[in-house]
Amino acid sequence: MEDRRIGVFICYCGGNISDYVEVEKVRAAVENEPGVVLAKTQMFACSDAAQDEMISDIKEKGLDGIVVASCSPKLHLYTFRAMSLRAGLNPFRYTQSNIREQCSWAHRDGGPFATEKAIRIVRAGIARARLSEPLATMRIETTPKVLVLGAGVAGLMASLTLADIGLPVFLVEKEPEVGGWTCKWGGMFPQGNGSDLVEGLLKKVKQREDITLFTRAEIIERTGSVGDFTAKIRVADGSVVSLEVGAIIVATGFDTYRPAEGEFGYGREGVWTLPEVKEWLAGNEGPLAVDGRPVESVAYIYCVGSRQPKDSELERPNLYCSRYCCSSALHTALQIHERNPEVHQFHLYRDMRSYGKYELLYEEASRKGSMFFRFENDAPPEILAESRRHIVRAKGQLEGDEVLDIPADLVVLVTGMVPRQNDALINVLKLPVGTDGFFNEIHPKLRPVETVMDGVFIVGASQGPKTLAESVASSLAGVSKSAALLKKGYVDLDPYIAMVNAERCVWCGKCLEACPYGAIEKSVLEGKEIASVIPSLCKGGGACVPVCPEDAIELKGYTSEEITAAIDALIEQVAAPVP
Amino acid sequence: MARVNTDFIDEVRRSDGFDATACMHCGQCTAICPMGLDLLPRRLFFYVGAGLEDKVIENLETIFSCLLCRLCEENCPRDVHIAEDVRFLRNYINRKVHKLARI
Ligand code: SF4
Ligand code: SF4
Ligand code: SF4
Repeated sequence: MEDRRIGVFICYCGGNISDYVEVEKVRAAVENEPGVVLAKTQMFACSDAAQDEMISDIKEKGLDGIVVASCSPKLHLYTFRAMSLRAGLNPFRYTQSNIREQCSWAHRDGGPFATEKAIRIVRAGIARARLSEPLATMRIETTPKVLVLGAGVAGLMASLTLADIGLPVFLVEKEPEVGGWTCKWGGMFPQGNGSDLVEGLLKKVKQREDITLFTRAEIIERTGSVGDFTAKIRVADGSVVSLEVGAIIVATGFDTYRPAEGEFGYGREGVWTLPEVKEWLAGNEGPLAVDGRPVESVAYIYCVGSRQPKDSELERPNLYCSRYCCSSALHTALQIHERNPEVHQFHLYRDMRSYGKYELLYEEASRKGSMFFRFENDAPPEILAESRRHIVRAKGQLEGDEVLDIPADLVVLVTGMVPRQNDALINVLKLPVGTDGFFNEIHPKLRPVETVMDGVFIVGASQGPKTLAESVASSLAGVSKSAALLKKGYVDLDPYIAMVNAERCVWCGKCLEACPYGAIEKSVLEGKEIASVIPSLCKGGGACVPVCPEDAIELKGYTSEEITAAIDALIEQVAAPVP
Repeated sequence: MARVNTDFIDEVRRSDGFDATACMHCGQCTAICPMGLDLLPRRLFFYVGAGLEDKVIENLETIFSCLLCRLCEENCPRDVHIAEDVRFLRNYINRKVHKLARI
C-alpha cells in the first residue's frame, strides 16, 4: 500500500474555500500521509490551467491515484474523471473530497475548526484513494428502436418524431382507438378540433413503415436494461409478441376526476363534469337542451377534485392544481356563448388560473357577459334542487359575503386530472410514483422526463397535469432523450456496482427483496445457489449491502475496506492543533 | 340571500347603456372615490352583473350620490366607463322607480 503514488490537489475556489479554511495548512498536514508523493494547492482546480498542471503532474510523477479536495462531486466529478482519462489515469482512481459544501460553506462563522475538519476530510479521501482500484465502465450496445406506450396525441407525436429521426417505433395502445381524450373533447383553443387533429396524426402514422401500431394491446413483461430491453406485448388477438427496443416512452396520459355521488349534486341530470360537457357539446349541434329543457343558464364550479385541502377527510387529497381546467372551462363557456349568446353563464372559482395565452379566454368570456364570483375554500357552493332546475348557492368572497342563489339548467363541475390507475404497468416497468400518484421524474426542472429506470421516459400527463401543448412539448423531450441515448449506439455504465462473494453467500434472498431495480437474481455456481448481480441493472445504490447477514455483498468503489479506512482517517486526531 | 334574476341582466344587456363586464373587482375605484361609500361604484356593478335588481333599487341614494367626477375612471385598470354606467343606473331608476320617461 505504501508504494502507491498519490497526488493531492487542494483548491482555494477563489476564496470560497480559502476564506474559511487555511488551505496551505491543510496541504502541509497531508503531504506526508502514506502514499502521498505530491500535495499542491490551486486557485481554481477546475480551470483549464489547473487541469493541465494536474495532467503533467500525473504523467511526470507517474501518479496512480489522485485526490481533488474542492467542491461537491455533483459539480465536478465528471470534469476530473475526464481530466484523469486525458492524463492516462484510470478515472476511477480519482477521489473527490468535498471541502466546500461540506466544510467551508458550513463553517462561515470562522475559527480553526474549519481547517481541522478539512484536514480530516482530505485524509479520508487519501485513505480511500490508497485502496482505489482501476475499474472499467461497462459498454452496452443499444438497440435503435423505441417502444411508445399510449397513442394519445403525446404518443402519436413522439412516434412520428422518432420515425423522422430514423428510429423505428412500436406504438402500443390499450384502447381500440387512438387519440385519447383529445379525440372526444371537440373544439380546441386557439383553433381546430381534437378529432380532426388525431385523424391527421393517425393518417401520418399509418403512412410510415417504421411505425408499427398495436391497438387493444398491453405490455405484460419487460426484461433487459437501458439500451437493450425486451418487451412482451399482448396484442388484440390475445397472442404475445416480443419486441427488442433500446428505450421506452411512457405516454399513458391521465384520467379525469370522477366526483363522488352527490358531490356538488353529481349524479343529478344536468350536473355534469367538464369532460362530460365537452363530449356533449362535441356530439350535438342543435339547440342546447338538458333533459328536453333549453339551457338558459349555466353555472361552473371550479377546482372540483383538485387543490383539495390537506386536512380534508379524504384519504389522499389531490393537493395539486390540474392546470388545464380553468382555461378549458373558459373555452367551453365561449363555445356555449357562440352556440347561444343569450345563455347566462356564472363562474364560481377559487383562483382564475388562465395563465399565459389562456388569459385571452378569460378576457373574452368576461366581455361576453360571463360573470365571475370567487368563493373561499371553506365556503364552497351548494347545489339545491328546484323543479327541473338547480340552484347554486354561493357566498361570493369579493361581494361583501353576499349569498347568491343562482338558477342554473346546467351545472358544470370543472374537474381536474387524476393519475390513471395502472398498477400492472407500474409493476412491469418498475416506475416510481409520486405522492400525487403521477409518475415521478428524476429532477423536476433539469431531468423532467427521465426516471430512475434508465432508458424509460415519462412524458405528457402521465407525469402530472398538463395542457395538450405542454404534453406534446414533454413528449418531444422524451424523443430527444431517447434519440440522444440510441443514436450514439452504446451506453457506458458506471462500474460502481454490487458484487457477490460466492463463498460467503448462502442465498437467503434478502438482497433480492432489498433491490429496488430488480438487479439481483439467483444463480448456481458449482452446484451452490448464490445471488448474482445483473450488471446492467445495478445502479450501485447499495440497498443490498447492509441487509446481507453474511456480509457477502460489496459495492465496487465503496467496499467496506475503503469506507472503514475513510472513517478511521476521519476520526484520527489532527496532530498539531491549528492555532 | 339574494336571488340572481336573469331577466334583469337581460334588460340591462339589451339597453346597451351599461357595460362593466371588464371589471375585475380590484376595488381601486371605491378606494379613490371622494364620496367614500361602501357600495360606490364597484359593488353596484356586481349587483347589476349578478342581476340583483332589488339591491340596485334599494341603494338609489348611493347611485345618486356619485359626483360623476370620473376620478375612479381615470384610475380603473380595466377602463370601465364608470361614470357612464352610473348615469345609466340613474336613468334606470328614474324610469323604474320615479316613473319618469326616458330623457
Ligand atoms: S386550473 Fe383552475 S380549476 Fe383547475 S385546479 Fe387549477 S385553479 Fe382549479
Ligand atoms: S377600478 Fe375598475 S376594475 Fe377595479 S373594481 Fe373599479 S370598476 Fe372594477
Ligand atoms: S365618478 Fe362617482 S364613483 Fe367615480 S370617483 Fe367620482 S363620485 Fe366616486
